[in-house]
Amino acid sequence: MASCRWPWRRCCSWRPAARSPGPASPGRAGPPGPPSAADAGAQMSYFNLVKSLTSAFPNRYSMSRFHHTTSAVCCCSKTQSGEKYTDPFKLGWRDLNGLYEDIRKELLISTTELKEMSEYYFDGKGKAFRPIIVVLMARACNIHHSNSRDVQASQRSIALIAEMIHTASLVHDDVIDDASSRRGKHTVNKIWGEKKAVLAGDLILSAASMALARIGNTTVISILTQVIEDLVRGEFLQLGSKENENERFAHYLEKTFKKTASLIANSCKAVSVLGCPDPVVHEIAYQYGKNVGIAFQLIDDVLDFTSCSDQMGKPTSADLKLGLATGPVLFACQQFPEMNAMIMRRFSLPGDVDRARQYVLQSDGVQQTTYLAQRYCHEAIREISKLRPSAERDALIQLSEIVLTRDK
Amino acid sequence: MSLRKLLLRLPGYLGASGPPRRLWRFPALGPVSSVGSGRERPSRSPAHWNQVVSEAEKIVGYPTSFMSLRCLLSDELSNIALQVRKLVGTQHPLLTTASGLVHDSRHNLQLRGLVVLLISKAAGPSSMNASCQNYDTVSGIYSCQRSLAEITELIHTALLVHRGIVNLNELQSSDGALKDMQFGNKIAILSGDFLLANACNGLALLQNTKVVELLASALMDLVQGVYHENSTSAKENHITEDIGISTWKEQTFLSHGALLAKSCQAAMELAKHDADVQDMAFQYGKHMAMSHKINSDLQPFIKEKTSDSVTFNLNSAPVVLHQEFLGRDLWMKQIGEAQEKGRLDYAKLELSVCLQLSLLLLETSLLLKDGGRWYFYHFRQNMAPMVRLSTILIFLTLSKWLA
Repeated sequence: MASCRWPWRRCCSWRPAARSPGPASPGRAGPPGPPSAADAGAQMSYFNLVKSLTSAFPNRYSMSRFHHTTSAVCCCSKTQSGEKYTDPFKLGWRDLNGLYEDIRKELLISTTELKEMSEYYFDGKGKAFRPIIVVLMARACNIHHSNSRDVQASQRSIALIAEMIHTASLVHDDVIDDASSRRGKHTVNKIWGEKKAVLAGDLILSAASMALARIGNTTVISILTQVIEDLVRGEFLQLGSKENENERFAHYLEKTFKKTASLIANSCKAVSVLGCPDPVVHEIAYQYGKNVGIAFQLIDDVLDFTSCSDQMGKPTSADLKLGLATGPVLFACQQFPEMNAMIMRRFSLPGDVDRARQYVLQSDGVQQTTYLAQRYCHEAIREISKLRPSAERDALIQLSEIVLTRDK
Repeated sequence: MSLRKLLLRLPGYLGASGPPRRLWRFPALGPVSSVGSGRERPSRSPAHWNQVVSEAEKIVGYPTSFMSLRCLLSDELSNIALQVRKLVGTQHPLLTTASGLVHDSRHNLQLRGLVVLLISKAAGPSSMNASCQNYDTVSGIYSCQRSLAEITELIHTALLVHRGIVNLNELQSSDGALKDMQFGNKIAILSGDFLLANACNGLALLQNTKVVELLASALMDLVQGVYHENSTSAKENHITEDIGISTWKEQTFLSHGALLAKSCQAAMELAKHDADVQDMAFQYGKHMAMSHKINSDLQPFIKEKTSDSVTFNLNSAPVVLHQEFLGRDLWMKQIGEAQEKGRLDYAKLELSVCLQLSLLLLETSLLLKDGGRWYFYHFRQNMAPMVRLSTILIFLTLSKWLA
C-alpha cells in the first residue's frame, strides 16, 4: 500500500516548483501575502498535507491507521454542525431577499424567448450557495474592519454577479457536455437547442459584466475578470488529460480550482476589497473561498458516485460518462492500477463506466477524497478564524462543515 | 428634380470640395493624397476599397491584430488549433468561420478595429485634459485605444464563432455523424468563450469602468442582434417577417452597429474627450457599420445579372424596403409567384427598392458626411481617410446602382 502512495508524494513535491497556476495570481490588485499561504496553489495544501502525513507517519502502518481515523473526524463534525449555530443559509438569506428578482432586473431583454431562456435558472430553486457565502463574507469583513452592521449595495451586487457568472458557465457547460437535466429540470440546450443556449449564456455574462462595471471599482472588475478567464482555462484543462500519472492529480486539482473555487475565492475577495482596505483581510477572504470552493467540488465529485440521481437533480456517474477522472477515480487507481488504461481511453469502451464505478466503490477512493475535502475545509476555517468574531464569521465556519456533509 | 437626378449628382456632392479636399494633401498622408485628391472622382472598384483600407492601416501605424502575441502563445489557442484540425472533413460550420478568419479576401476582417484606430487618431488627445498626455502614443494613438481596437475585434470574432453552433436535434443525415457535430459545438463554444475571456481581461486592464460598461452593453446588443438574425433565418416557412424598415434598422443596429458605435465612443472616453465628441464618435461608428451592412445586403442585386442563381437573404434591407413599399399582401403574392416559377423576378423588385434604398443610403451618408465635416473643423487632418472610407463605401453601392 505504501509503495503505491509514494508517487503521490512525488507528484506533489514536483508541483510547487512548477509555475503555480491560477491561485498564484488571485487578482492583480492583491497583496503579496505570506509566501506559503498566498502563492501556493490548490496543490500546495495537498502538498502540505502529504508532507505532514509522511513526516508524522513515516511508515506504512501509521499511514493506513491515519486513513482509518479520518472517517471518525468527519462524523464528528457532522454531529456538531446541527446544533451549535443557527442555520447559515437563513442568516445569509436576510441580505438576499429578492435576489432572483434583482437578477432578472439586470437581464434587460426585450425579446420574450431570449428573456425566458436567460431567466430559466434564476427561478429561486437553486441553492444560492455562492451568494450566501458572498454576503456572509461581506458582513464578516465589515464587522472585522469597522464593526459595521451593514452590507453595502455594491457588496450585495457581487453576490448577484457571482450567481450570474456561475449560471452563464452552467449554460455553456451543459451544451459542451450535452447534458439533458440540471436541478431536476431540462437543460436550456435541450429545450431551446444549442444555438440559442450559447447565446443565452453570452447574454447572462454580458449582463453580469454590466452590473460589475456599474459598481465602479476597477480593482473589483479585475478580480472578477480573473474568474471568467479561470472558468475557460478550467474547461480547457478538462478537455485534455495528462498521460503522466503523477501529473494527473495536480491537473485535477488545478482544474477544480479554476472551474469551481476561483469564482468563490475571487468573489469573496471582491467583497472584502469593497468592505475593508486591509490587504491581509483580502487574502483571508480569498483563501477561505478557495479552500471551501475546492472542498465543495471534491464533495461534488464524491456525490457523483455515492448519491442517487433523484437527490442530485442530475444523472450520476456523469463525470465517468464524460470521460473525466475525478478525485475518487484517481485515488481508486492507486489501489487498482488496471484502471489506468480506462482513464487513458476516457472510459470510452462499453462497460468501462460501470467497471470504473465498481472499482471506485470497492476502493477507499471516496473516503480519501472526502478526507482531502476535509483538509481543505480545515484550512478554510483556519483562515476565516483570523477575522474578528461575529455571527457571520461563525456561519462561514459552519458553512464549510455543511459542505462536507451535504448529500445533494 | 427627380430622385434619380438627385442621386446622379450625389457623387459630386459627397466628394465635396473645400477644406476636406485640401487636407487630404497633407504630406504625412503620403499615398492617400495622390489617390484621393484632384479633380477625378475616386474609383469605384472593390480594389479601391482594399487600397483605402491598406492606406488607412499605414496611417494608424500598424493595424490591429487580435491575434496578439499573448493570445498566440497561449496553450489554449494551440489546443484549439489542434482540435479544429480534427474537425476537418466534417460539416461543422466552425470550419467555415475558421477559414474565413484565415483567408480574409475581402479585407473586412479587422475593419472594426481599424475604424476604432482611425477615429482615435482623428480625435487625438483631448485638449481639456492634460493628464493623459503622458500615456504612450504610437502614431498618435494611445496604447489603451489600441487595446480597445483589439477587444472590439475579439468580441466580434467570439460572436462569429458562437453563431456557428448547430442544433443537434435538427441535424440531417447529410450533415454527417452526430459525434462530429457535438465535438464541433464543443470546440466552437470553448474557443468563443476563450476569445470573450480575453476581451474581458483586456477590458479590465483598461482600468476604466465606463468603457467596461459600454463594451459589455455592446456585447449584450450583439447577442440580441445575433439572436434575431438566427431566428429569422431559421424559419424557412415564414419567408419574411412583416417588419418595416424601422424595425430592420433597430435589429441591424443591434447585430451590426452597436459594437462599432460603442467602441468608437469608448475610444473617445479613453482619451478623455467630452460627451459631445463621444456622441459624434458613436454616431460615426453606427452609420459606418450600417452602411457596411447595407452595402453587403445589396451585393446579390448588383452582381452581374447573367446568373440567375444568386441567393439573397429575404430579410436584407432591399427586400424589407420593397415589402414596405408594396404592402405585405402584394409582396406575399409576388413571393408565391416566384416560388412557383422557382425564382424571384429581380427586375420587378429592383426599381422600387432602388429608389428607397438610395434614399436610406443618402440619409446615412449625410450623417457620415456631417460627422466628417465636424471633425475637420474641430480636429486634425487625420480624419480624411475615415471620411474617404465611408464615402467610398457609399460610392461603391450607389455607383453600381446608377451604372
